[in-house]
Amino acid sequence: MGENATALQTSLDRLLDSPGVTGVALIDAVTGLVYGAAGDIGEAGGGAESSELAALIAQRLGEAGAEGDLESVVLTSRRRHQMLFSVVRPAGDPLLLAAGLDRDRANVALALRSLGDRVTEVLA
Amino acid sequence: MKAPAARNVPALLQALRDEEFTGTVRVSGSPGGTIHLRNGLVGAIETPGAPTATSALLTTGRIDDEAWLTACATEPDADRLGAHLVTAGLIGAAELEVVCTAAVHDGAFAMSLGAAGGWDIGDREPTLVAAPGVEPRALTDEVTRRVGLLGRAGVTAGELARSRPEAVEESAVAPAGRRGGPWVQPRLRGLLDAVNGRRTPRDLAFALGRGLYAVMLDLDHLESQGLIRREARTTPGDRPSTAPRVIPGTADGSTPTGGPLPRRRPGGGTPSGERGEKADR
Repeated sequence: MGENATALQTSLDRLLDSPGVTGVALIDAVTGLVYGAAGDIGEAGGGAESSELAALIAQRLGEAGAEGDLESVVLTSRRRHQMLFSVVRPAGDPLLLAAGLDRDRANVALALRSLGDRVTEVLA
Repeated sequence: MKAPAARNVPALLQALRDEEFTGTVRVSGSPGGTIHLRNGLVGAIETPGAPTATSALLTTGRIDDEAWLTACATEPDADRLGAHLVTAGLIGAAELEVVCTAAVHDGAFAMSLGAAGGWDIGDREPTLVAAPGVEPRALTDEVTRRVGLLGRAGVTAGELARSRPEAVEESAVAPAGRRGGPWVQPRLRGLLDAVNGRRTPRDLAFALGRGLYAVMLDLDHLESQGLIRREARTTPGDRPSTAPRVIPGTADGSTPTGGPLPRRRPGGGTPSGERGEKADR
């Protein structure tokens, strides 16, 4: 963490302490703009792709009758997990926290719980 | 300060970045705007084309007017207002950073939709700025991405920005076997409710305290769901129509053929049976 790190950068850096997390990024869920990132940015995923994916899933869930907002998305490949969390915001367009995790070092259930609990800290 | 030689605004900003310039760049044009630089980084953009961070915070009610005025009175230097808002507990530092950064990108996008004229460089003018600011090159790349994403075959992002979308009756686009319209996300529902056929995307952005680009993207979603329709203007401005005049009573607007031209008679009026006859009273 640099001496002049911004508050957002500090928040994101802190999330790298979670077991298995290799990269995180805070993304605008509408525009796909990446506001900040920490660790391996490639592991967290691209902003535009993540926002489009979350929007598509939310739309399909809504059409299928699901109620409430999208909370999280978990993608699993052979070696890694990618997670997207909706970041609750008092006003303004929604945000997404994207996290890349090493599958050998992360437990999906624990990571969902751990990161999910800490999502609210990102905008503090 | 003497402005560095540059062929366009992005090149100018990059040159000012190299000089770690602090001050303002006033860009003329439509919409034009003022770019606030701090140590070469873009801290804020004020343009008639998109809401600023201040507008986003107040319009959405994230910070109420009274608290805002109190904060402004306590901290007269707007450059330090952000830090004061955080210290006063009105908003988190990271959240403020997000709001200000989003506004910078949105302002740059809005300015890119019209041709820039000239520019003037001036001293620092206090305003609510993103800290530390946005790299000019990153800003240019993001604007390029946005303009490319919104542009469609035959319609540019600038033309879409001048469109005036109107809502379509939802029952008309109901999926087969379902009453009512398609499922619409709450955010899109709010935008749909604000669409009235007179507002441009810019008007909607200001009314909702949202970014212009975000509104334009959401309008795209609504249009793809068939919930709005819009006809992008193919010509900038409000040029008078030069379409052939349709004469009432004729089936089409084709030019009448045959027959003599109306003749003017002494005493005014034209003979009965000729076009241009005044109605009997």
